[in-house]
Amino acid sequence: MLELKGVTRHFGGVRAVDGLDLLVPEGCIFGLIGPNGSGKSTTVNLITGLFPLTAGTILFRGERLDDLPTHRRLQKGIARTFQNIRLFGRLTVWQNLWVAQNSPEDRARRSFFARWLGGRRRARDEIAHLLEFSGLAHKADEFAANLSFGEQRRLELARALAARPRLLLLDEPAAGMNSEEIGQLRERILALRARGITILLIEHVMELVMGVTDRIAVLNFGQKIAEGSPAEIQADPVVRKAYLGGGAT
Amino acid sequence: MLDFLQAVSDGVLFGATYALIGIGFTLVFGVMHKINMAYAAASIGAAYSGLLLLEVMAGAPPAAVFACAFLAGGLLGWVVYLACFHFIPLSHPLATLMSTVGMLLLIDEVVVHATDGMPQNYPAMFDDVMLHAGEFTLRGDLLLVFGVCVAAMACLLALLYRTRLGLATRAVSQQPIAAQLCGIQVAQVNAITFVITGLLGGLAGAMIGASVGTLSPLLSGPLTVKGLVVTVIGGLGSIPGAIVAGLLVGGFENVFQLYRGVTERDLYVMLLLFAFLVFRPGGIFAPRGGRD
Repeated sequence: MLELKGVTRHFGGVRAVDGLDLLVPEGCIFGLIGPNGSGKSTTVNLITGLFPLTAGTILFRGERLDDLPTHRRLQKGIARTFQNIRLFGRLTVWQNLWVAQNSPEDRARRSFFARWLGGRRRARDEIAHLLEFSGLAHKADEFAANLSFGEQRRLELARALAARPRLLLLDEPAAGMNSEEIGQLRERILALRARGITILLIEHVMELVMGVTDRIAVLNFGQKIAEGSPAEIQADPVVRKAYLGGGAT
Repeated sequence: MLDFLQAVSDGVLFGATYALIGIGFTLVFGVMHKINMAYAAASIGAAYSGLLLLEVMAGAPPAAVFACAFLAGGLLGWVVYLACFHFIPLSHPLATLMSTVGMLLLIDEVVVHATDGMPQNYPAMFDDVMLHAGEFTLRGDLLLVFGVCVAAMACLLALLYRTRLGLATRAVSQQPIAAQLCGIQVAQVNAITFVITGLLGGLAGAMIGASVGTLSPLLSGPLTVKGLVVTVIGGLGSIPGAIVAGLLVGGFENVFQLYRGVTERDLYVMLLLFAFLVFRPGGIFAPRGGRD
């Protein structure tokens, strides 16, 4: 599904990501973990095209992404959420989802004729479905800025889904959540996989990563130091030393 | 007292044009975080383009001249976007400021050459209508100017708050990076913002021509300054602020024109600006948490 080959990004003299190879198979939930500053968020920004690559190449479904601008990558089917929430605060929950419906199907649906053939109704149905899925149906007309923290996180996820992604990049979706909310997030992530969405999960919360992923890659100082199943990663001495801090699991 | 009321009402009616110019500055600032210094000059230039219609078709009705100015404004807005923003690195804080100042001077030069620097008569509508209430009068042409400007503002607000394009524009102004990642084409939204503000500016320019009766290239300098004053007083990025501040500045300057004469009035507008910068630097509607 997604393949990174020798992906490198320097900021001045700092090698934020350094020769990273990664293969995310279709239909899998892939975890990307690592200590703070290990290059996880930079990797997401490179995949979505917020900064250009210094070296290397990124393939999505066999197609090179390197030169595509951000909005084109979204149309190819890559959506993301943000570690620090970036909602459109002065738009309502419903409007946040409406402006994010930019997949090729949705664009085609907005053409003059399709509009009168039920395109509008389908767009509304889809928003209603997303609101239901993220438990925000009762907040549809609330300004996004007025939502609670947990609700804002859910809206971030729903907004990414409004673009009908094939690949969803979740950048620390559980940050600041309590364990009940993490449980709900886990259910949602599994439900999305069941719908055929491939997920790249970047997370600090081990409770979530170890419970939900099929495969994990560990970054440190911009390089991959290990890759394997959750059980293998937990047992890996290099990872324990670099990241889990010796005795922690 | 009656003189005072008369001056305030005439000034507020004319102030609607300042409000439109202020909206143009504020909208571009909200979306791109840039000041388009060429805006007022382009608006006056668009109003002049309306006169081209009279060249081609003598006796064209004033409404057609206004419509022509409106459309020319949209076209000029797009040209200004292409020339001053599209190919220039937006990360450089001064580059677009300088390119738009250059465009301001260029537009003024073109106008001066095309008209030999002579003021041109501008058509008006309902200029023979006067509504009387005792001693108090309302000029028909000013009422039309006010009505047209208010209608334009209402259309703009409906566009920004009710349509998908408007919501996308506001999304870009609130969270440019997230907007990009939601598949909104930021460059396209920017260009459309320039066309929309250009249309409003063309209309404002035509309305200024209609209420003053003449157009002169000398108008664009003071109008640029007034538009910026309105934008600052209203609060950068705030559309309601620009509307209120435009009407306020219109009424205010007309009162000082009455008591101190036309040559002195702009002095007091500048004093008003300084008063705001000192006591309320965020403007009347200081932006809330998120920009809009």
